[in-house]
Amino acid sequence: MSLEAYASAKQDEIHTDVLLQARQACYKARDAFYSCLEKHSDKKPTEIGSVGLLYPTECKPSREDYVKNCRVSWVKHFDRQYCKTKRTQRLLDDKETRRGV
Amino acid sequence: MPISRFIFFSAKHRFAHASNLLPRFGSSKRIQSCGYTKSAKNNYYKKPTGHPVVNVETQASRSSGAYIIPPILLGFGGLLAFLHYNDERRAVKIGKDSYTGSDTAAAPIIGGPFTLVNSENQIVNEQDFLGNWVLLYFGYTSSPDIGPDQVRIMAKAIDTLESKENLKVLPVFVTIDPQRDTPAQLRAYLKEFDPRIVGLGGPVSAVRQMAQEYRVYFKKVEEEGDDYLVESSHSMYLIDPKMKVVRCFGVEYNAEQLSKEILKELKKHQVNA
Repeated sequence: MSLEAYASAKQDEIHTDVLLQARQACYKARDAFYSCLEKHSDKKPTEIGSVGLLYPTECKPSREDYVKNCRVSWVKHFDRQYCKTKRTQRLLDDKETRRGV
Repeated sequence: MPISRFIFFSAKHRFAHASNLLPRFGSSKRIQSCGYTKSAKNNYYKKPTGHPVVNVETQASRSSGAYIIPPILLGFGGLLAFLHYNDERRAVKIGKDSYTGSDTAAAPIIGGPFTLVNSENQIVNEQDFLGNWVLLYFGYTSSPDIGPDQVRIMAKAIDTLESKENLKVLPVFVTIDPQRDTPAQLRAYLKEFDPRIVGLGGPVSAVRQMAQEYRVYFKKVEEEGDDYLVESSHSMYLIDPKMKVVRCFGVEYNAEQLSKEILKELKKHQVNA
């Protein structure tokens, strides 16, 4: 595909879900969901999110809000990051009492 | 018998140094002992029977051994001499400055010509940036967190430099996701950060070529149809007016540090130019 052809094609599609407002909404929903997780961390997680993240039923509505406001790949990315930080946190805090995730 | 002894004696003298260096050669010890005994005529006559047998034996093994050892030694010495000479040749002499530029490290040449499309749908190549300092960032608009942060840092650093030091550095954002980042998309995205940021995209082949020249790694991950993330080394390149890459900044720099480092590089360049 030559440059000129590229320049003229596909002019009007703009993905608005990555622009500033959408990003802010996504971050807000994400933070709300994660704080819900922190708040109910003593409850048994029964629901399963993406990439192995488990969460209790109390956080189901915030989870839905989060998934609605963010792209699927972003949800997965943030979940993975969250699991990783949780794991390192656990390693640093508990020392030997827990094994595995 | 006298002849054999004569040959042996001369052989012993010729390879005396070898015998000194290789004490483990049992025969040499015997020879030396024989030699010592030989000099004392009394002893020589006292053990006539032991000598010939020992002489012949040692002489036989000695001569064949003696023929191999010195060439080996010479070869080894030659190898050492060659290595030493090679080291001398390769070493950079202290005090001799062969570089005239400010960067002292002989790094690979990063950068090269490119031809891309900017957010106004115009074709742009590297000639258009000659004469300007450029801060180049390879990113994509669909980045969840790192991309927007980096662009924000870039915009803030550029702003600081222009307002405080009155130094113009042109920020350029090259998308490593050209299939989704159309010129219109780039325009809409970058407008929210800073109107000065130039967005560049183009056909996949052109972007790939430029990324290769600048040694930028990028890869599609988490692919689910049209929704994917692009993994890349989120780093910014500072390029001087001659289109040469001067410095590379990773994600660890925040806006103040970035502007400070850029200022340092600019000052250094002015001193040398």
